[in-house]
Amino acid sequence: MMQVIINGIVLGSVIALAAIGLSMIYGILNFANFAHGDLMALGAYLAFVFNVIFEMNFLVACTLSIILTSLICVLFEHLIWKPMRRKSAGRVSLIIISIGLALFIRNLIIFLWGPDIKRYALPVRRGIDIGSLVITQNQIAVIIVAVASMFFLHFVLKRTTIGTAMRALSDNIDLAKASGIDVDSVIRYTWAIGIALAAIGGILYGVLTNINPNMGWFMVLPIFAAAILGGIGNPYGAMIGGLVIGLAQEISTAVLPTEYKLAVGFIIMIAVLLVRPQGILGGV
Amino acid sequence: MIEYIVSVLLIAIIYAIFSLGLNLEWGLTGLINFGHVAFLAIGAYTTVILNLRGVPLIPSMLVAVALAGLCGALLGLPTLKLREDYLAIVTIGFSEIVRLILLNEEWLTRGPLGMHGYSRPLADFVSVDYNYFLLIVVLTCLIVCYFMLERLVKSPWGRVIKSIREDEDVASSLGKNVFSYKIQSLVLGSAIAGLSGSLLAFYMRYINPMNFVPIETFYAWIIVVLGGSGNNRGTILGAIILWIFFSGTRFIQGDLPITPSQAGALRIMFIGLALIILMMFKPEGILGRKEELLLEQ
Repeated sequence: MMQVIINGIVLGSVIALAAIGLSMIYGILNFANFAHGDLMALGAYLAFVFNVIFEMNFLVACTLSIILTSLICVLFEHLIWKPMRRKSAGRVSLIIISIGLALFIRNLIIFLWGPDIKRYALPVRRGIDIGSLVITQNQIAVIIVAVASMFFLHFVLKRTTIGTAMRALSDNIDLAKASGIDVDSVIRYTWAIGIALAAIGGILYGVLTNINPNMGWFMVLPIFAAAILGGIGNPYGAMIGGLVIGLAQEISTAVLPTEYKLAVGFIIMIAVLLVRPQGILGGV
Repeated sequence: MIEYIVSVLLIAIIYAIFSLGLNLEWGLTGLINFGHVAFLAIGAYTTVILNLRGVPLIPSMLVAVALAGLCGALLGLPTLKLREDYLAIVTIGFSEIVRLILLNEEWLTRGPLGMHGYSRPLADFVSVDYNYFLLIVVLTCLIVCYFMLERLVKSPWGRVIKSIREDEDVASSLGKNVFSYKIQSLVLGSAIAGLSGSLLAFYMRYINPMNFVPIETFYAWIIVVLGGSGNNRGTILGAIILWIFFSGTRFIQGDLPITPSQAGALRIMFIGLALIILMMFKPEGILGRKEELLLEQ
């Protein structure tokens, strides 16, 4: 049982990282970005390209991938999302565009790197035995990186001007505009930070299991469930939501066939929508 | 050659019916259903499972259509009172879970092996190439669905669902029960998808979970958006264009220096890009009316 809980915390921290970005973008741009999972996958693949194809050090490869994935999203902001805001497009149009983008990115990955499973060039390290439990060094690394990223985000949100502006925009975009906040620039930062977290999540997921073109698609359900559970637009809620979904999915494997892991997140999501649609910590 | 054209036409018409269901939901009511393929799967599998257990075809199909509609209602209940994105998320989840059930509940669905050996309408009495007869069947279904939907669109019911798409506050301020209309639209759209699922099973003669992957949903989306959201004729046109695109690209595929999996990926990249570009620059599609489609806030 403890083993399942450890696995759940590890998976949950990956889901949380991705859900934070999804929730922030949801809160500030006011639409559900269905390409979020595939952007995670893109981050994981770019790290693979630098690490395995260009044979770079893994940490360097990850850093380059995170920066590049963020930049790509800032580019999308200029090409797609900003022009659509100028046209005051409704969120339904944005949602459909995001699914088009998701299809495009996923199949670009298949086109460029093939449909097969890939792995990073990382040494296989022994797991650490604690009594009857096994926790691998990768799992420990994943938790450390995830927690560090969340603390970094917390610092940005609470201590920097841009973070304060993000929270203001998420609360009330018109009020934020009226007080002279440069909305476009805050949105650019939101994309960059949110997608950087997603890329980190994608890489960590790749470290834990493997990299494949459908990894983003399979993450979409848990990360949406986590964001809704925590309250849309609330990054702290997304952290808790991610942890709860990760734990629930792993604990469910004790009673349900593992194939139905995804269904657990789905059931929790439906329950939240029925009972408390604003999420546990409240959202927009 | 003529057999090939008939077979492309068959699948195009089945997808036209499938997409008419989505057009009712998205094009006319403004509901975002990203799990439409689930209802196609429910339609196909219910028909086949019942038929293999001795239920005659027509009752099997009726149960399939009813079950697809019922599932639509169940998904609408927790979501349609909330903002529109929740339906999108929940339907995506539902379609994945339906696929997981098809893959894993082998006692019911035979899992990845798929199902075959079920009967097809009047198969014993048709002596010519069966596909010609099936073409008449699916064409009849398309015509019935089309005229039923056209009648509905022009009825008071159709005016209410269009007003919900434009601005649901206006509809509810005029005393319309918006939630109930949305559920009705979702039920009918899902039932139509269920019917197309039965027809797909007859056409394929063998179904397995791979026929019901998420991309099928987005084929319906590109069909509806390309043809013109809210326009039933546009949806039929969109389905024909999509299948001309598929069969056309299959012909030139051999001349390009790419693998079959790359060709498949390229095709879907093109569809994704087309969806983005249409929504950005021509959201009314080919036959839709811009003044009718209010996509602004």
